[in-house]
Amino acid sequence: MRRLTLQQAIVASISQEMQRDTRVFHIGQSIGSSFNGSMSSTKGLGDEFGTERVIDTPMSELAMVGAAVGAAISGTRPIVQVMFSEFLSLVMSPLACDAATIHYRSGGKACVPLVVRTLFGAGPHRGHPEDFHSWAASVPGLKVIMPSTPRDAKGLMTSAIRDDNPVLFMEHMGLYHGAREAVPEEEFTIPLGVADIKRAGRDVTVVAIGMLVPLAIKVAEALRSQSVDVEVIDLRTVVPLDKDTVIASVAKTGRLVVASETWSCGDSMAEVMATVAEALCTTRAVPMARVGVTQVPRPFAMALERMTMPNEEKLVCAIMHVMNRPTSSSADNHGVLE
Amino acid sequence: VDVSQSDLLTLYRFMLTARCVEEMLGKLPGFHPAVGEEAVPIGSFFGLKEGDYIAPHYRGAITAAYMRGADLRTLFAGVLGKATSHNLGRFRGDICMPIAYRVIGMYSGVLGSTISLATGAALSARVLRSDNVAVVSFGEGCSNLGAFHENINLAATLDLPVVYICQNNQFAMSTRATQSMRCSSVADRAIGYGIPGIRVDGNDVLAVHSAVQKAVSRARSHGGPTLIEALTYRVSGHYGSEQPTYQNADERESWKKRDPLARFQNHLESLALLDPATASQLADATRAMLSAAMNLARADPEPGHAELGEHQLFATPQAAAF
Repeated sequence: MRRLTLQQAIVASISQEMQRDTRVFHIGQSIGSSFNGSMSSTKGLGDEFGTERVIDTPMSELAMVGAAVGAAISGTRPIVQVMFSEFLSLVMSPLACDAATIHYRSGGKACVPLVVRTLFGAGPHRGHPEDFHSWAASVPGLKVIMPSTPRDAKGLMTSAIRDDNPVLFMEHMGLYHGAREAVPEEEFTIPLGVADIKRAGRDVTVVAIGMLVPLAIKVAEALRSQSVDVEVIDLRTVVPLDKDTVIASVAKTGRLVVASETWSCGDSMAEVMATVAEALCTTRAVPMARVGVTQVPRPFAMALERMTMPNEEKLVCAIMHVMNRPTSSSADNHGVLE
Repeated sequence: VDVSQSDLLTLYRFMLTARCVEEMLGKLPGFHPAVGEEAVPIGSFFGLKEGDYIAPHYRGAITAAYMRGADLRTLFAGVLGKATSHNLGRFRGDICMPIAYRVIGMYSGVLGSTISLATGAALSARVLRSDNVAVVSFGEGCSNLGAFHENINLAATLDLPVVYICQNNQFAMSTRATQSMRCSSVADRAIGYGIPGIRVDGNDVLAVHSAVQKAVSRARSHGGPTLIEALTYRVSGHYGSEQPTYQNADERESWKKRDPLARFQNHLESLALLDPATASQLADATRAMLSAAMNLARADPEPGHAELGEHQLFATPQAAAF
């Protein structure tokens, strides 16, 4: 089986789906054969499908997403690249006010088979790290996906393209050209709304997304030496939320840590905590903690970025906090335990 | 553009229907009436093909949907938020039109959204290699939005088959068009996108129809988009119960004298296609038809839990009609 990066796996899925369904097309800035997308995010698609189906646009995010919504309700299945998650600020009107509402408000007579893919996260080029997925996750009618492995990325992208609803697909730049994984060459889907237990454990549940998933697995392995058995759940799909898997896990472990690379205030992961708290409040008290980025705009200097980013130490600290085994460094870990 | 005698009479019936619809619904406090502006939607959306998409300005949208085949009772039920409406009461039916008739409406209160959606319908036509076009109208206030500039520029660069019609009634709520742009016509903005910009008398239904039909032919033959400004005037408040104190009364009265329905009626009378007695009978019959439809809509049930549809947020594979 081929071993692909996350970037290669996503492009492989899009290529297969465009071959399979002529209604699928891709639109965005600098995605065609002359540039192949930021960070090679559309590599080869322009050559394979030409300018009629891999459509380069002016730098007009509002129009590309707005027009893609219009295309989606009139017989095609667009994939839009909004280059970076920061630029979601430019498209919230067509995405949150129109794409999200059209199926419901049309009385079920229209649907919006749309994928908006966007890059985010601390990556090799050090720009545009902001993770604004929680904006979309807070709006009824949008699905939100954040894969952490190449195999998941391919299966989830295929599901996203085949889904009849608007889907925001978050692509982490730090994972993009990172670890390779065996990815089936043939078409396959991973259903939206199904979390994946990446590592089974008995003592504490860590629910993570994106870059925090490999970090959580690493921490879980490290904590074996301290007799802490960590279960790592990769949500994969933030919306719809796989409540059953998360609640069953926390019912088993009795402890919950949520981890993401965005600000904890208003993070979609708070919804995970609230869901668990509501489900288990009559049966047990669940110690909870969260790990995110520090509540300041994402800083540029490496030294500042390191201070704000979630890391192994902060995650260990949060896990030990819910284990009621405070670590020596927990007292000065601002922004980790709130 | 030649218009046959029977089409002239059909246009007149639609103009009359629009006037009666706007006068009737304009009595509702939250409705945005198009009285005096009817020539723009009627002239724009008459004579299109079944496969074409239209995205009418909310001011005049009901009659535009009726022209596409939607029935008035269901449209009125939408205005009233009834269970029987196309939207099941989930959104206001005065601005959200039935997609089944290829009428794109607003799905949020964000103006400019339909400019994007219509551009997207043209994009679909391109991708699917059909010869369908999209025709969208909007107020001049929208021509100051990013959605206007970005979408027209996008459509221009991709030569998309779409016609952009600015229904310039000279007021965005209370803001005069002259306060919100330095060029003398919205049509002038077309220069910046490298597409034709046409200015027409928006109170002359035949002038609007002719300009739009030429632009539609151009779009259908891969000639790209056109921006048309149809100049008219809002002779009412922004919504039904609002008093336009910011308007000059003399100016408003002068525009009332250019009433598009009366002008078209005079034109048809001069061609001996209509006489005052027939026009009067037609008006009575139209009002009776609308009241009957409205009475039925008023008697329709209010929406309940079934229409709330908490579990119908997402489309399921079976729901995909396309």
